[in-house]
Amino acid sequence: MTMLPNYSSQDCPRAWEMMPWVLQASATQEQGEWLTHHLAHCEACRAEFAQQKRLKQAMSLPSHVDVDMEAGLQRLLGRLDAPVEAPQHVHARRSGGWLTRALAAAVLIQAIGIGALGLKVWTPGDSATYRTLSQEPATPATAGAIRVVPDAGMTLADWNALLHSLQLQVVGGPNDVGAYTVAPAASTASQQNTLQQLRAAHGIRLAEPVSDTP
Amino acid sequence: MSSTDAIKPMNDADLNTDATDRQLLQRMAAGDRTALAILYRNYHGRLCRFLSRQTRRPEVIEEVINDCFWIAWQKAGDFRGDSRVSTWIMGIAYRCGLKALRQHGEEPVEDNIPEERMPADDPDEDRELRDWLSKGLERLSHDQRVVVELVYGEGHTLDDVAAIMQCPVGTVKARLFHARVKLRNVLPALAERSLTFKEQAP
Ligand SMILES: [Zn+2]
Repeated sequence: MTMLPNYSSQDCPRAWEMMPWVLQASATQEQGEWLTHHLAHCEACRAEFAQQKRLKQAMSLPSHVDVDMEAGLQRLLGRLDAPVEAPQHVHARRSGGWLTRALAAAVLIQAIGIGALGLKVWTPGDSATYRTLSQEPATPATAGAIRVVPDAGMTLADWNALLHSLQLQVVGGPNDVGAYTVAPAASTASQQNTLQQLRAAHGIRLAEPVSDTP
Repeated sequence: MSSTDAIKPMNDADLNTDATDRQLLQRMAAGDRTALAILYRNYHGRLCRFLSRQTRRPEVIEEVINDCFWIAWQKAGDFRGDSRVSTWIMGIAYRCGLKALRQHGEEPVEDNIPEERMPADDPDEDRELRDWLSKGLERLSHDQRVVVELVYGEGHTLDDVAAIMQCPVGTVKARLFHARVKLRNVLPALAERSLTFKEQAP
């Protein structure tokens, strides 16, 4: 059994909803004034607002877990030099070094991105959750191919419309983590450009270039 | 689903911070490690707080923070700029946190914080508030805790939280609502007369 909010007038739900935003000062002045007015007349909402204030105050206390920031930073900087970043790449510009870095990053990023999907959406078999895109069997590389993971909530119509607008066609997938391989139908658009548009598109969770490098 | 009731006009301080963060990302994209260090130090406190709602283990918190910044370092050049940098970073941290919790096992949030882990200078009032809060938070689902932390602890809007958790605004609203109802029931100190109903499905 749970107690629902104690609404004493039809304005109460609105007041309830508005409280956190007034507290964090993201509500408009008008909304703030409306709430103040309501609170003056509504004891139940006054009690709730007091509780909300206390919650915010409690939430603002610094972390009680002691984590050594400088030691952590040193370990992170050390990690940047670890296996993947060969010295000759250190000074590489993003445009030149990106692919190399992306390949290194891909395993982790995909493990995270896909892993989260696996957990929440596809609930595949145990091992599949931790499979990364780079571990899947090699498919013949198509020029400009991109692996894309659409959001679970994306409709087929939206997916088709997006592919159509970017002149892409599905050439593989979905694999067991829900990733599709898409490639340009016409070889006009630059892969980087297409990638950016895919990543910006609503409903796209992940888009990474397919590399034929192992 | 409208979130117009929670439009956050960025104030000057927000804008300045975000402009600084963007510059730091640009420098990171060009390989500037000093910029990475600055961003790391700027975000360390809030990431610790955010992640300590999900685990009490300092080594796991550090691992998640470092995974987060490792990705931020790799992806700095890809930052699209359609959200604030803080939203982008919290989103990465949220996903890294999910991964870490899966790997290390999600531990229940303890009833009371062990004495030895309490900062020595924690005033009684703060301690009381922490106890009050941890009693409430332990009753929330992981997602509800994250929403509560992002809204009340970090001051993110509904739209921000939806971007961070990559879910619809309506889902965030529902999580926030149910978290508040639970908190209200667990922490009735300030609550007054309430009617009792069956809890609705989340
Ligand atoms: Zn009311």
